[in-house]
Amino acid sequence: MAITDIIKKTCKSLGENNKPTYVVMAIAAVKGICRPAFTMMDKTENPETKKYTALREGLTEVIAIPAYWICGELAGKIAKKTFNGSEALAKRAETNLMFIGVCTAALFVIPGLCSLAIKPIMNKIGFKSPHDIQNENNSKKNIDIKSPATPVQLENTAQKFNIYPRMSTFTSKPQTGLRVGGL
Amino acid sequence: MISAVKNFITSSQLSSIAQNTTQSVAAETTLKSIGRPGFILIDKDIDSDTKQYAAAKEFLYQATCLAVYMALIVPVFKKGGFQIAKKYIFKNTEGFEHFKDVKEYMHYRKLADNPSVKNRMSTLNKEKLIDNTSIRDKYNTTLQKELEKQNPDKFVYVKGAVELSNIIGSVLGLAILAPQVSHAFIHPALKALGLEHKKDKLPQNDIKIDAKA
Repeated sequence: MAITDIIKKTCKSLGENNKPTYVVMAIAAVKGICRPAFTMMDKTENPETKKYTALREGLTEVIAIPAYWICGELAGKIAKKTFNGSEALAKRAETNLMFIGVCTAALFVIPGLCSLAIKPIMNKIGFKSPHDIQNENNSKKNIDIKSPATPVQLENTAQKFNIYPRMSTFTSKPQTGLRVGGL
Repeated sequence: MISAVKNFITSSQLSSIAQNTTQSVAAETTLKSIGRPGFILIDKDIDSDTKQYAAAKEFLYQATCLAVYMALIVPVFKKGGFQIAKKYIFKNTEGFEHFKDVKEYMHYRKLADNPSVKNRMSTLNKEKLIDNTSIRDKYNTTLQKELEKQNPDKFVYVKGAVELSNIIGSVLGLAILAPQVSHAFIHPALKALGLEHKKDKLPQNDIKIDAKA
């Protein structure tokens, strides 16, 4: 099939019924690829922050795609069941409720799901936000002074505790040349 | 109350917004610019300065997306897509031959969507262009005859071509162009609002030793 035939077929299908879910899902899919890619290409940010942000952006769109689809289709099905009397009315109600479903997804469902799910998922994968890492580093350092201290093991104690300098250290005579008698 | 909800759900105006890619994307982006910052602001795990900063950043991002979309993508892709489809893909067939541009088609479509033939024809006869010529004169005999029918031809290929170019424009605009523009715009805007400075001031190394533990 030539590319023009595919375009014609797509045009016919979109002309007959342009579901509101199509465009939002297409945008979310391309955003899910492009936004993390752009973030990773940013040279001003440090690599760990870039990785975290890119993964977060990707996950947001991964959540958004099924959310749009489920909300739209669910609302459309409700319309079909409610307005089953007139076909024209049912079709219009289906389109309208689908659009309302997509709007609800954009306004409540996706931000809600993201704030609930992203952090636990990121933690499970092993990615912590730079803010959390900083908080961990800045958290109070507890010094344990109650439990008994473990004795320090020293090797060759005799040598270690011999802190007195050798007598030769204090000799004022010259160390070079011919020595006659004495030390 | 129930009848009001029913009327809203079956409203033809809402249906035309829902079937129109540009309007539905604009509505969805507007809602995103409210919803996402809103959810950031009600998050209890984040401190208030970070919340303000993240919410402002998200709002500015969505607002930039909407502005880029409305200013660049809608006019370029709507008009360009129609002309490409008319000249190269459909070669002036499947209804494209009746319309000079996308504006003419959208006007015809609006009339064709009106279920009453009487209302449709009276609107067509009443409406005039800026130079005082009747819109009816712009329509050829085929289109006029179609509008007199109970179920006029809506030229689905033309509608589909307009929507397809709008979808392509929306995807390119919102997923590729808008993030680039917003990247250049957001940081100066946040600085101007005093939020970037606030973020920089956040404590970096505030180590406290708890000797009582």
